[in-house]
Amino acid sequence: MDVTLVLQGLLSGLLFGGVYSLMAVGLTLIFGVMRVVNFAHGDMMVWGMYLSYLLATRAGIDPYLSFVVSAAALFALGLLVQRGLVDRVIDAPHEMQILLMLGVALVLENLALVAFGPEPTRVRSPLGAATLWLGPVFVDLARLVTFVVAVLLTVALSLFLYRTDLGRTIRAAADNTYGALVIGIDVRRVYAVAFGVGAACVGAAGALVSSILPFQPPTGLSLSVTSFNIVIIGGMGSLLGAFIGGLLVSVAESLGAVFLKPSLKELVSFSLLIVILLFRPAGLFGKRTS
Amino acid sequence: MTKHRLTRRTFLKATAAGATVAGFPLPLRAQPKTFKIGVIHPVTGALAEPGQACRLGAQMAADAINAAGGIKSKGGIKLQLIVGDTQTKPENGRVEAERVVNRGTRMLMGSFDSGSTNAMASLAQQRRVPLLIDIAAADPITANVAKSVKDGQQKVQYVYRNFPTGSSFGRKAVQYFNEIFKEANASPKRVVLMYCNDLFGQNQARGFQAAHKAANPSWEIVEAIPWPEPPSDLSTEVSKAKAAKPDVIAPITRPASALLLFPEIRKQRIELMGIVGPGSPGLYEAGQLAALKEDLEYVLTSVPWANFKNPKTNAVAEEYRKRSGGKTFDTNSGYSYDGMFVIADILERAVSLEDPDAIVDAMKTTNFSGGLMQYAGPVVFNELGDNPNAISTMIQILSQKPVAVWPKEAALQKLVFPRPKA
Repeated sequence: MDVTLVLQGLLSGLLFGGVYSLMAVGLTLIFGVMRVVNFAHGDMMVWGMYLSYLLATRAGIDPYLSFVVSAAALFALGLLVQRGLVDRVIDAPHEMQILLMLGVALVLENLALVAFGPEPTRVRSPLGAATLWLGPVFVDLARLVTFVVAVLLTVALSLFLYRTDLGRTIRAAADNTYGALVIGIDVRRVYAVAFGVGAACVGAAGALVSSILPFQPPTGLSLSVTSFNIVIIGGMGSLLGAFIGGLLVSVAESLGAVFLKPSLKELVSFSLLIVILLFRPAGLFGKRTS
Repeated sequence: MTKHRLTRRTFLKATAAGATVAGFPLPLRAQPKTFKIGVIHPVTGALAEPGQACRLGAQMAADAINAAGGIKSKGGIKLQLIVGDTQTKPENGRVEAERVVNRGTRMLMGSFDSGSTNAMASLAQQRRVPLLIDIAAADPITANVAKSVKDGQQKVQYVYRNFPTGSSFGRKAVQYFNEIFKEANASPKRVVLMYCNDLFGQNQARGFQAAHKAANPSWEIVEAIPWPEPPSDLSTEVSKAKAAKPDVIAPITRPASALLLFPEIRKQRIELMGIVGPGSPGLYEAGQLAALKEDLEYVLTSVPWANFKNPKTNAVAEEYRKRSGGKTFDTNSGYSYDGMFVIADILERAVSLEDPDAIVDAMKTTNFSGGLMQYAGPVVFNELGDNPNAISTMIQILSQKPVAVWPKEAALQKLVFPRPKA
């Protein structure tokens, strides 16, 4: 086995894992607070990608700067979806919520099809082509920057949740909704903010990968499936779990492609899911609920 | 809140009314003034771009046929397209075909990807509706039907194809590889085959490998690297290809995977004589050229291509450009356009349009030379139902435009191989 190839696979997988982590963090936050599985997650990410595409092609703004705009726009979208739709089924059985979110996913996908057409595309960024060579191994600068920003955003999100009043109210509402209501927390407002922040994470993730990953309107479904896989591996509702899970899945896929036929690499990540569910049914960092 | 309850009486009323309508004898309904053709492609989903190109190509051809007086031998009957969308899901080939057949279509055309076309073919056989495959390369689609007819399991073959098959793609690609290497006075030794691992990609790769084995040329396929389609990352696959020290990379892509593959090949600085594709989408469409720019420059690929030496092709291509918002008349729009003209030719010659077997009889004796694509001869159907004259052309991206470069009789420009060093 070629050592360079293994090292390269490890490095590429780890750096790409930053993207996976960021998209999973948003999903796990929404689930952790509201117990709603956001099936439109991948489609929201695709909209983050298209926004950065628009800003790059119309205003010449690099996606590594415009991710802030994508995050803000998706925050607003998340807020609207929560207030207008999710809020109405928050106490309904899970299947109602799943149907609603699948409906939102379909609407988002088809709106993108009408607005941007069916062609796959990617955003061109000077960083997208830049590489740094360390002997025989190379570092893809776009992935490195994405990785660093993903780490910083996850840290910022943790600080927000643990060090600010609003963050504390979100955690309170997540831990015990009834208790939060009793002490006067506006739980509906907290839910809307949490949904918005989750959507903003995935909006930022979308913009950050728009120069790495080609996208087209139906890309959302596979992104959603990957996000679910990561969140279940990491533990539903756990930020740290989503972050580590993202890196694990990406490295597993990358090394799977090195050691096996690359077409089997998804088998590796989903086998990882089965193994983890067998030994830790609540995921790596998940809490068992009664 | 009031609830609508279904009582025995309302149920009986409704079923009686339904039975009356359904049981109304057919001849007393209005006679159709048009001949309905079910045209099914993936218009949404991952293959929406080529699928929409196919639909527009078919519609333009039907418009042209109707404007020129319809099917003249049948009193100028007009073609009416009943369109369907597989949503890029293989199983929907059958679902959509069934839907359009229930709406009265008497011929089918479709459907771009081999998976859904295969599903359509089984319905065409069951419902006895002749199907002309405009695009889909997997060999077994027609071969399986031909075999079941030969073995006596089915009486008539209703499935015919005017498109190169995976195995013929492979043979042509190996032949063109040899010819262009010789023409360029170059002798690459190591070829790495990289392909998407769906039905289309597997079939193309197998066809290419089998043809290579049979021809035993001076170059070797040193590694074959499949990836799951659509991929989210191809960096490890490209690192693997690089480790095999290739002179030529032979990619079989889909549009989305091409967008990942080519920038990665450049990033990893693989020293290559060239990138030569055995045949796949993703390397020549307008959207791909805009997104990949210099990464596609000098890329060669063997694809079914329009014959731009024919003035009519240029006129249709210009109309297509206008109606599609600036797109190139290519493999997809071109073969669907030709498919509709082949159908019109069949309908002109069929003894009766009411009897599917009469339409099939006319299909079998097709000898149509009005196509706009590059063919090796007229459109005919062999014992499997395939057109042996449907061939590919080697095209190259030169100055950001796809241009036919091989074989010589189709070439509009001289090919560039090996590609200039960056």
